Amino acid sequence: MAKFIIRRFFLLVLTMLLVSIAVFLIVESSPGNIAKNVLGAFITPEQEASFLAQQGLDKPLFQRYWFWLVGSDRVAERKCGFELERIETASGFQEWWVKGENGSLMRWNLEGEDLFVYIRKDNVTIEKRKDNERWVKAGDGSSIFWGIDRNNHAVLWVKGASSEVWNFVVGTGWIKSTGGPQSYIPLKKGFLRGDFGVSLRTGRPVEKSLFIRLRNSVVLAGIAFVVVMPFALLLGMVAGINEGSFQDRFLSIAGMIFSVIPEFATGIFLILIMAHWLELVPGASVFGEKAPWQRPDMLILPVLTLTLIELGYVLRITRASMAEVMRSAYIRTAFLKGLPFWKVIFRHAAKNALIAPITVIMLHVNWLMGGIVIVEVVFGYPGLGQYLLDSALYKDVNAIEAGTMIMVLLAVGTQLFADVLYTFLNPRIRYS
Amino acid sequence: MTLKIHPAVNDLKSDYDKGKMSRREFIRFATLLGLSATAAGQMAGFAFPTTASAGAIKRGGKIRIAAPVHKVTHPAQFSWICPSNQLRQVAEYMSYTDENNITHPYLLESWQPSADLKTWTLNVRKGIKFNNGDDFTADDVIFTFKQWLDKNVGSSMLGMLEGYLDANGIEKVSDSKVVLHLKTAEIGVPEHLFHYPALVLNHKTFEGDFIKAPHGTGPYLLKEFVEGERCVLVRRNDYRIKGADGKSLPYLDTVEFVDMGTETAPMIAAMQSGEIDMIDQGDMSGPEVYQALKGNPKVQIYPVATNQTRVLRMRADMKPWSDNRVRQALKLCQNREKILALAYFGEGMIGQDVHVSPKHPEYCPIETPKYDPEKAKKLLAEAGYPNGVDVNVAVGSGWKEIVRYAEILKEDALPAGFRINIQTMPNSQYWEKWTEVDLGITTWAHRPLGTMVLNLGYTSDSKGAPAPWNESKWVDKEFSELITKANGTLDVEERRKIFCQLEKIQQERGSAAIAFWINVWTIASKRVQGIVSHPSLYLKLEDFWVNA
Amino acid sequence: MDNTKSTSKKNQNSNLDQNIDVPKKGKGRFRDTLKILFSSKAATIGLILVLFWVFVALLAPYITSYSPMEQDWKAPNKGPSIAHPLGTDELGRDIWSRLAYGARIVLIVMPISEKLWIPGGTAIWGVIAALFCGASLGLISGYKGGWADEIIMRLLDAMMSIPVILLYLIIVAALGASAVNVVIAIAIVGTPGVARLVRSLTLDIRTRDYVRAAETRGETLLYILFMEILPNAKGPIIIDAMLRVGYAIFAMGTLGFLGLGMPPPSPDWGSMVAKGREFILIGNPWASLWPSLAIASLVVGLNLLADGLREESMRYQ
Repeated sequence: MAKFIIRRFFLLVLTMLLVSIAVFLIVESSPGNIAKNVLGAFITPEQEASFLAQQGLDKPLFQRYWFWLVGSDRVAERKCGFELERIETASGFQEWWVKGENGSLMRWNLEGEDLFVYIRKDNVTIEKRKDNERWVKAGDGSSIFWGIDRNNHAVLWVKGASSEVWNFVVGTGWIKSTGGPQSYIPLKKGFLRGDFGVSLRTGRPVEKSLFIRLRNSVVLAGIAFVVVMPFALLLGMVAGINEGSFQDRFLSIAGMIFSVIPEFATGIFLILIMAHWLELVPGASVFGEKAPWQRPDMLILPVLTLTLIELGYVLRITRASMAEVMRSAYIRTAFLKGLPFWKVIFRHAAKNALIAPITVIMLHVNWLMGGIVIVEVVFGYPGLGQYLLDSALYKDVNAIEAGTMIMVLLAVGTQLFADVLYTFLNPRIRYS
Repeated sequence: MTLKIHPAVNDLKSDYDKGKMSRREFIRFATLLGLSATAAGQMAGFAFPTTASAGAIKRGGKIRIAAPVHKVTHPAQFSWICPSNQLRQVAEYMSYTDENNITHPYLLESWQPSADLKTWTLNVRKGIKFNNGDDFTADDVIFTFKQWLDKNVGSSMLGMLEGYLDANGIEKVSDSKVVLHLKTAEIGVPEHLFHYPALVLNHKTFEGDFIKAPHGTGPYLLKEFVEGERCVLVRRNDYRIKGADGKSLPYLDTVEFVDMGTETAPMIAAMQSGEIDMIDQGDMSGPEVYQALKGNPKVQIYPVATNQTRVLRMRADMKPWSDNRVRQALKLCQNREKILALAYFGEGMIGQDVHVSPKHPEYCPIETPKYDPEKAKKLLAEAGYPNGVDVNVAVGSGWKEIVRYAEILKEDALPAGFRINIQTMPNSQYWEKWTEVDLGITTWAHRPLGTMVLNLGYTSDSKGAPAPWNESKWVDKEFSELITKANGTLDVEERRKIFCQLEKIQQERGSAAIAFWINVWTIASKRVQGIVSHPSLYLKLEDFWVNA
Repeated sequence: MDNTKSTSKKNQNSNLDQNIDVPKKGKGRFRDTLKILFSSKAATIGLILVLFWVFVALLAPYITSYSPMEQDWKAPNKGPSIAHPLGTDELGRDIWSRLAYGARIVLIVMPISEKLWIPGGTAIWGVIAALFCGASLGLISGYKGGWADEIIMRLLDAMMSIPVILLYLIIVAALGASAVNVVIAIAIVGTPGVARLVRSLTLDIRTRDYVRAAETRGETLLYILFMEILPNAKGPIIIDAMLRVGYAIFAMGTLGFLGLGMPPPSPDWGSMVAKGREFILIGNPWASLWPSLAIASLVVGLNLLADGLREESMRYQ
């Protein structure tokens, strides 16, 4: 059993790795100009190059993937010879600093030809002074310095180099100079260390938006699950007990019809009827600062929509399983022994009939997510699905990667859980 | 009190007295020349309606507005109205163009142009403080101007200003006086100062990202700004402008902008159930929202006609559009009444392929071209396409009326020989290449003066290359000269004469097909009071208050 | 009552069994298939629904009085009337015509570009592509076994664990919205499922005598895979394919709804729902009701048909 779990866990990691590479490649191969998307259509080629460099997008694909996966701070530490530290400021911005000689935090900025150091003391005051001693003479006569700038990059500053660079100077905008930053490494800890990177669309760390969205989606899916399951299992059993009867046919066909009406259609018409005509419940989800559970009325229609589409599926599986059990020899024997009907059903049949549906339903999480994305779009629900849709349309690679990884983790995780659960429920099965 | 009145104001007054100019136009131009709106109104024998009586107004409370919360760094780089509607509550503009297109001084106390309109003296209002305690001075004004003029900031302000102003033409006279020395005469300076990216920045703390140092002079403080989620503003207690009840504005305690995605249907539903009080439609077309909510008893609708339009623009430097006959042929394929009726539910005015709206003061009435596919077919044949031509039109799928416009055009242009393939893309992708595609439909925002639009969209820079916002790359020497002349012409009748020529040129050989001008609506729940609908849908939230 | 009913049905089935036991060719076999079909009410209803849409798609020009693009600008957003049996959309186009031509895009023709249309609907091509990729992988995996099997199956497991909607989103959002990209997305999503099914069938079939015989005859690998094994696995594959066409139609609808379907003015059902949605609250629910029903009815039809066939063929085995 332990071996089985370890094996499956290994496969999960492998899957996530493969998927992350695939997503990287797909996003990479799709057309679009991210610099123009972010900065507007009027940027010059130099500005575009500078933007790409600052975002680390000028690096080869492999290196970008590697930085995304394991982070770039180690590489940066080797380059500049300092230990780096990421802090979060009081106003919630993430900042990278160098740990200085005496334990203070330092960052640099190049103004004209002069290097300035910013020293952060006792986490509040920041001291700024000239720091030209840092320059190191390079082979071609120019002076260079690898440090950390104020926008979370490790930067190679060069003074007296022949090439021209564009640089954003506070208060003046972009200026062209002969010296300046020549190479950027955007600092991140990497996915494996829990840093999803910065979203290109919002310009802020992905995890800040992602986890709230994930929470909202989980609330929605969780409530839908709790509503659907008992209901669907019960109806499925009713249908399965009398296989071929009118109830059975009615339930299984109704279930199937509901499960193939597209979610968007169900959602739209529920809004029309319940919110627009009857004015019973709100037809859209607006939470703002509140959490979804503080506004349960807004969850009613999204949950109902999900319920309708999921109900049929679970019902049909339960029905099939129940019908099979009812045909089995031991149930017939139980009836022949003269045991009361309901006793046979609950003591003997139900126990065995529910094993298969529960695990199959776990495998269905994958499909449930599809339903959630649509429901979120229909109701304007601020969940993970809508976040992913927006990110995919914007080609915001870090956000897509983070969302994908979470979805895969959930999907494969539940499958693993289902398999484990199955072995407990059905002692005849042993994995080796 | 001695008023220093620009000599031209007297000319305007005589024009007005002779009936050459409407009262509104007189006030508009007189205020541009530095006369206060009240004074101008008095000259025109017109009293401004006083705002709501103090007794009715209630203080406190919160409203929620559905609006996209975009990533924002440099306000001068705005290319959307919605971020400006969030940040204009925190920072402010030097001038204020009201819903009647009359421009008032705002952070400036007043302005005085010289007689030749080439030297403008800007008097900075004294005693204004930024919300971080810094004083607002001429340095902030100059810093902000320089940001706009810096090519590397990439502000759309540059396109408007660079024709007449250089960075070295800005002179600081004192802490409260700035003089602009223009290269050419320009009448629109005060209105340019209210263009939506023109927020005044704090020169001491602004470092390229406004969200990190949200220090403005406005009525609200930025409490929270989460891109893609929400923007929360709270009342600033020491705002300089007093409300009708004699206490500091704003009336509201909190304003929350909630990002509800790009679909309008959930926003409509949320308006119906009262979850949100308003939809910020600055960047989206609202006919569907208006149609859906117009009968709703909980909702109040404030309509306003605008100079906003959807421009079917053809790249004059790319085949087949480089041939004017092809451009004219496509223009003839517009069944304008049908387009307005179906694409925008008839809520607007018919356009005449000139980027001057009937609501612009300089508008010169011009004939509306008829839908004529036969003539278009002939023109196409003359241009060398007797068997028709295949073209792609790029449209952003988020603008529903643009998609419908394209679908109608596709159908109606078929008999003329245009086989149009509609390429839809998310709006963000359209903005990536709106200047690059050979045929596309672009949204153009409201601008109060005809000269502002023509300067932005249809001129060239000093070297003769098309200006950044000249998306169709159409440069016409005669047209450019006439625009320059119009920029320095104050007398509205004279300007109208120039515009008659300009419009004729644009209609006959221009690069833009303009089928309709749209109306917009400020749609708010009835409990929100103090709303005045602005043709650009700018929100002036300090005047809003809630009833219960 | 129930019991008698089911026993009578059983008898019917055993008759069928006897009939089928006698080897038959050509027409006879076709007739048997029909018999199986009509013996199940569900399958019959399913068949009728599917055939309805197939005929509508085939005969679209003859059963509609307007072209799907024809705009009547005096009558936008109208409910059903005599002139327009299902009403009109926001540009005054006849919804029935658009549904009929939309069915063509799903089932009969696929627009590669504005000018080039190829036979075979978009959903059909998506499933064919998935079948081809999935069957090849499944056959190799099942027949060869060993490390090839291990690698293919692990890769497919990885693909299967990606939520379907995410794959659609990433693929179509990245590649852009067009019929070809929709086909690619459907194929990628469908491949692992087909491969698993074919693999399990292959594992069973490869031990059969006729496969052994072909091996000893020295037939090539391709011949064995595609001429010996695949034809003998086709029953379950066909049933699976029917369900897949249903999923594909569903997926096309979803993509259209998200604005990732065929570009306008194509009468794509999902896009029709998305557009009609804007006008529901204005008082015209028809424009999005009909295409929703169209998607649902066609998918229901395919599901009933596949279910019916599976049930009957299981009994027949």
